[in-house]
Amino acid sequence: MRQPANGILDSYNLNSSHYDEVFNGSKEPKEHYNSIVERFNQLSLSDFERINNEVKTAFFNQGITFAVYAEDKKPDERIFPFDLFPRIIPGQEWMQLEQGVIQRNKAINLFLDDIYHKKLILKDKVVPADLIFSSKNYLKEMVDFTPEGGIYTHVSGTDLIKHTDGQYYILEDNLRCPSGVSYVLSNRLALKKSLFDLFDKLKTKTVYQYPEQLLEILKTVKPKNSGIPNVVVVTPGMYNSAYFEHSFLAQKMGVPLVEGRDLFVDRDFVYMKTIHGPKSVDVIYRRVDDEFIDPLCFRKDSMLGVPGLMSAYRAGNVTLANAPGTGVADDKAVYHYVPDIIKYYLNEEPILNNVQTYHCEKEADMKYVLENIGKLVVKPVDESGGYGITIGTTLTKDQIEEVKVRIKSNPRKYIAQPIMSLSVHATFIEETKEFEPRHIDLRTFCLMGKDTEYILKGGLTRVALKRGNLIVNSSQGGGSKDTWVLG
Amino acid sequence: MLSRVANNLYWMGRYIERADHLARYSKANYFSSLDAPIVKAYDRSFVLESMLFMAGIFDMEEVNERDVLFRIGMDTQNSNSIISNITLARENARGARNAISTDLWEAINTYYHLVNNYPQEIYLTTGLYDFNQMILDQTSIVSSKIYGTLLHDGEWAMILIGMHIERAIQIIRIINSKLNDIYKIEQAGHPITEMSFEWTNLLRCLESFDMNRKFYRTIPAREQVLEFLMLNQNCPRSISYSLKGIRRYEEKISQNESSESNAISFKIRKLYEQYRYLSFDEYKDDIYGLLNSTQAKIIEIASELEKKYLSF
Repeated sequence: MRQPANGILDSYNLNSSHYDEVFNGSKEPKEHYNSIVERFNQLSLSDFERINNEVKTAFFNQGITFAVYAEDKKPDERIFPFDLFPRIIPGQEWMQLEQGVIQRNKAINLFLDDIYHKKLILKDKVVPADLIFSSKNYLKEMVDFTPEGGIYTHVSGTDLIKHTDGQYYILEDNLRCPSGVSYVLSNRLALKKSLFDLFDKLKTKTVYQYPEQLLEILKTVKPKNSGIPNVVVVTPGMYNSAYFEHSFLAQKMGVPLVEGRDLFVDRDFVYMKTIHGPKSVDVIYRRVDDEFIDPLCFRKDSMLGVPGLMSAYRAGNVTLANAPGTGVADDKAVYHYVPDIIKYYLNEEPILNNVQTYHCEKEADMKYVLENIGKLVVKPVDESGGYGITIGTTLTKDQIEEVKVRIKSNPRKYIAQPIMSLSVHATFIEETKEFEPRHIDLRTFCLMGKDTEYILKGGLTRVALKRGNLIVNSSQGGGSKDTWVLG
Repeated sequence: MLSRVANNLYWMGRYIERADHLARYSKANYFSSLDAPIVKAYDRSFVLESMLFMAGIFDMEEVNERDVLFRIGMDTQNSNSIISNITLARENARGARNAISTDLWEAINTYYHLVNNYPQEIYLTTGLYDFNQMILDQTSIVSSKIYGTLLHDGEWAMILIGMHIERAIQIIRIINSKLNDIYKIEQAGHPITEMSFEWTNLLRCLESFDMNRKFYRTIPAREQVLEFLMLNQNCPRSISYSLKGIRRYEEKISQNESSESNAISFKIRKLYEQYRYLSFDEYKDDIYGLLNSTQAKIIEIASELEKKYLSF
């Protein structure tokens, strides 16, 4: 490779109002980024573009794509944008983050067990009972039922950001069907193939065991009376946007990928329809939302579910991961109480920070929010994927009034937070052919089984590719980066 | 194996095989016709009609080259075009994604993108050979991944039984199409000695010309060609060979369930044995009759197979 006169990172413009992950104030790379910056600067722009294109082609052929449908046209398939510049987290920094995520998820699990049984935290008024019982995600079908091993959140995807103060803050707890882990593994593979010599310079923790660990965790919560458990992944089907991930995980775990229509329940046991007759199913890693899993219990029009599944579940003949009804704890209004939840059950101080949250149901908070919408992010409590979020600084006067009306019509539905300044990371922008700072966050993946837990050392760094954009979700034009945790 | 996944694998095999035959037939016919000895018989519309016949397209009022090539190759509205077959093969592979190897999936997905992104204008003007050759090459890559990267178990057998059922049906279609062409040439009063060109062409449509020459060491003629493509046990593109495959893979799928309780197995064996002990003299006067009855029996076997294993 030629030594270019100027490094490809030379034209990078620091933005002093945000925390830059890679460079310090005088544009020197931080110590843990030294060797990567040096390596990237040895590449010419054309070398870099060639590698970038090879990776894109590989993603395309692997089917790591989503389809954009337009009338009268063939669906346009696009890859999820992937940036070659990895995000690096030093070992020490990660240790604290990992402990914080585990602490949080343990407490949440105890919280779920409590609110579906004795309800002590509500009786002690640490969390308002109304908040829980008014949530559409609180399922009466789960009351007084204990899932195998006492585990509700087998898989959780806690989202974190780094603020201008250099501290991590929890953005949200995803406790239902968090997705994205297949991109972590695919991104790593892509980087290993394309920039393999980077791995000589830094000792990076591996991510490849995730599917094995997931399978082990699922086996720890098999129903008591089952032998060698038949574990399956349930997908809504191949037109679901996360189908790539569902099939990826099933394939890597070596277990069947099934749809609701492949399963049936007979006398409270679940079976799958094979070419040689029914075969019993013991553990279901389901990637179908609560309301669709069983038309006899939840949405009657669901074509994705299995009639009788909840009855089989409550009879203890099948394990569902995650347990139904976990959504009540990742409600953005409950988020506000998680530090108190940690103190209540674990008697520990929270390791990771929560973002200051105003809960519109509280009168004082509501007043503050209505007066300060221009400075706040307003989020509906029960949406995911970045939908329904408004960011105060981007709103016109009329839009601010609209948001006010929306909040007043249903205060329970909205929370507000100060606009957190997500840290930025050098990211290659194809239009300008330059590296530019872009906002990032981090989704972690934490697994919990009976007496065991595992956290993926790394995670999905999501990057908002549009300049100035703070929303990193792929449904809103976000991309991703490989995330390296150093040993 | 889930019945739904079995269904995906079976149809994936069928669509891959179907696209391969369509491409080979178009390529062999179109290009051999360019310097055909009986020039008059081989005007463009004669060849195009033959291609339409084989592709099962009977609704074109006016036959012009551009439209015919489009309908057979790249018409997404025609469910039997090459592009539709590859799209369906890929959709079925996607539905059975976790049952197949990553290698095989990527080969099929790459194949799909190559076909889907092939510039239509180039295909219709200068790219006909290249496009069809790409189909044949991509099928070879996919086949090698089927043989080389999958466990040879029931799921694998499900793909292959689909491929062999489809192959048998396509061989019959192709022989029928060519017999139809030859009949038309005879009707036009051309001497039978000039027919070797057509028999050669039929062999080329089934990639069997070299094999046939090696086996008989004579210039292809009616008897050798029809005997070879129907009865030869060692020609991988004969009816008999396809039936042998259907029998072998059905055994793997049924896990050797006794044939008294397995009506499908019984029918497959009966048809296979019929072909094994058949001689050309026995049916030379009723080729159409044999082809049609064989096709009907294969379709019956396929539908019973679908009913027994693939419904969910």
